[in-house]
Amino acid sequence: MSRRTITRRDFLKAASVTPLAGALVPALKGLQAAQTDKVKVVLIRDPSALDASGSPDPAVVFRMLDEAVCAISGRTDALTGWKTLIRPEDIVGIKTNAWGKLPTTSAVEQALRRRVLDAGVPDDKVGIDDRGVLRNPVFQNATALLNARPARTHHWSGMGSCLKNYIQFVPRPSDYHPDTCADLGEIWTKTIVKGKTRLNVLVMFTPLFHGIGPSHFSKAYTWPYNGLIVSRDPVAADATGLRVLEAKRREHFKEDRPLQPTPHHIFLADTRHHVGVSSPDRIELVKLGWTDGALI
Amino acid sequence: MADQNENRARIMGSYIPRTAGPWLSEADQVYDAETIFGYIDGAGEVYRSYNMKLLVSRSFHKDGKPGLVADIFDMGTSADAFGVFTHDLDGEDAGIGQGSNYKAGLLSFWKDRYFGSVYAEEETEETKAAVLELGREIASAIPGEGPKPVLLAFLPAEGLETGRVCFFHNYSVLNYHFFVADKDILLLDQSADVVLAPYVRGEGKSYLLLVRYPDEAGAARALESFLRVYMPDASPSGTVRTEDGKWTAVLRKRDILAVAFNEPSEIFVRDQLKAAGSLIDEKGRGTH
Repeated sequence: MSRRTITRRDFLKAASVTPLAGALVPALKGLQAAQTDKVKVVLIRDPSALDASGSPDPAVVFRMLDEAVCAISGRTDALTGWKTLIRPEDIVGIKTNAWGKLPTTSAVEQALRRRVLDAGVPDDKVGIDDRGVLRNPVFQNATALLNARPARTHHWSGMGSCLKNYIQFVPRPSDYHPDTCADLGEIWTKTIVKGKTRLNVLVMFTPLFHGIGPSHFSKAYTWPYNGLIVSRDPVAADATGLRVLEAKRREHFKEDRPLQPTPHHIFLADTRHHVGVSSPDRIELVKLGWTDGALI
Repeated sequence: MADQNENRARIMGSYIPRTAGPWLSEADQVYDAETIFGYIDGAGEVYRSYNMKLLVSRSFHKDGKPGLVADIFDMGTSADAFGVFTHDLDGEDAGIGQGSNYKAGLLSFWKDRYFGSVYAEEETEETKAAVLELGREIASAIPGEGPKPVLLAFLPAEGLETGRVCFFHNYSVLNYHFFVADKDILLLDQSADVVLAPYVRGEGKSYLLLVRYPDEAGAARALESFLRVYMPDASPSGTVRTEDGKWTAVLRKRDILAVAFNEPSEIFVRDQLKAAGSLIDEKGRGTH
């Protein structure tokens, strides 16, 4: 196996995601964090997650989310697991993503809502919203957030990620567009969301692994992965989803074709904004269900 | 301004047919550089980075068939229309407008100051034919043609992959095509014109980057920044052999900076910059 030479271009890329100083080689070694704490990420897949028409099956999705929460919470009973995330006195905002070409899906939204209600939260204390979160009283007063969105490549940020899903929590989302959305992680330190997110669900039913045209979408570049990536850590969820997208791109294009622009907001959320971990070394990946074509 | 946009939108709308075979059109949606995010999310930054002025989008529907969408962007200049077209050059040449490509249900083309995109929600033989026909009709309706960016004239011909040349303004787009550094070490902004050209000469691919700054002082500052960050170990002639054994060199000619990346030998990198420098001297005066 050949070993690719590390060039100054690699160094100038690495320099933005880790506080480097000094010579090239020690700096690159520094990318591998010394920390040993691992965060749990669940990848759950089911061949029957999508029905014959390609729509998510609500019952299957409900079960997949329950199994993921059991794995994350360490509980064998799903509702008990949900109750470790949501308290009856919580006000819960379910942050979805309504982009028409590849939405979070009603199946995921309603499964989350159902489990919030089951955990004892009154109906009027649960809200589902995307672009209206700043005007929505439930989100304005939320004590807990559930964050759910589909995984896709993105024209400007590299990847439409769990991290990026919170861009609607700032009055001017375009303020976070510079340097291809490098500082999306900063949004997660703002009072309206800080410390409130109990679960992140990166929907991987039919991820978009390559984008074209103004809308950056073509069904030709989606595939039935039939999965969900679930974690309490948005950065770890995104970093794991990114591995799947890049593996799919390698498989499809038959060459290593990294996402462009580089989704460096995921790594900077770790190294610059400290809202989660991005290195696979610090992620405990729990794979449940269907394993064919898992890619990671 | 609102009246101006309304008038422009009406003219742009007149370039798009009302029907496409059995598909019927819906009401036009109009966006400017501020409102474009309501249509295409953060991807609007790509079009804003090319100084987009106005977008007219028209959808077409027919029961039982995938939808079609025709978008026309007024980019203000033909250089920027060409530039945004070069942002994604994958696909087969469709022979439409002044440059076009088609792939997976999407036709992209440019003509004069306009960039056009016609998209089918699902690619079938029928939608492909409809997309191409819509594109042909739109391109035919746009009167006149526009020139490509002046910088293209300074690219040496030998080994140039002519169909893969990109034009843009800022470093995020540079990094999209060819990663240089996460910081803007070439001091690019909307006032800079940039051409990135791939070459195949000898083994592997090399790149020639040409940047025209608003003035010579700007080019001089960028040269100093690039030398300091990217090639502090450069020879006095502005040449360096990088860690992978390839050669990079930089040259300033008045308000233009030329950088040759990834050349296979010192001779190649020097020849490349010498050739670009000669073309700038020969064709560049009075073109700014």
